[in-house]
Amino acid sequence: MIDIRRARINLEAVVDSVRRDDAGAFVLFVGSVRSDEGVRALDYEVYRPMAMKSFADLVERAKEKFGIREMSIVHRLGRVAVGGDSVAIACASVHRAEAFAACAWVMDEVKRIVPIWKTEVAGRKDRARRLR
Amino acid sequence: MRIQVRFFAGYREIVGSRALSWSAREGLTLEELVDGVLAKYPRLAGHRATMLLAVNHSVAGSDRVLREGDEVALLPPVSGGVR
Repeated sequence: MIDIRRARINLEAVVDSVRRDDAGAFVLFVGSVRSDEGVRALDYEVYRPMAMKSFADLVERAKEKFGIREMSIVHRLGRVAVGGDSVAIACASVHRAEAFAACAWVMDEVKRIVPIWKTEVAGRKDRARRLR
Repeated sequence: MRIQVRFFAGYREIVGSRALSWSAREGLTLEELVDGVLAKYPRLAGHRATMLLAVNHSVAGSDRVLREGDEVALLPPVSGGVR
């Protein structure tokens, strides 16, 4: 499952999407919008066709690099309030070590190369700040 | 020929538009197109060193020769996922 969506992420559905009988380990990484002073939400902007292509490439590279069996990546678009989930990555593998490693590697790559930008949505007293 | 040029995040705010249609001669390179865009929007010029370029949804080198109907994207440094 590769998806970029405005609606909330169904974490159970993301895990179910990678389930298979020949995998004994499933790792789910969830990134959420953290409470910081003056911040009430993050706005995510996505170059969708390139981001979808990047996610698909990352899944294939993760399979080759770590030997994992399956991987799903779901990312939010638009406004995500504090406490909301902005990204979920699920990975299935025969043993847990490669699933943990693949999830961590893919999340780092998402932050490094996938065309997604976020802007802080400030409370009333504060101004919006673009994040890098 | 016509090239579609797309802008995101801070670049979109500088240009004041998500996309524009750019008129170009045949054989124009990506670098020449970017030079033209930067000349029209000088506030973008300071971002050139960190600007990533894509053609038709894939990262492209500045020597890429553009073709009719190509979609060029000027991408600021990305910041997806979590902090």
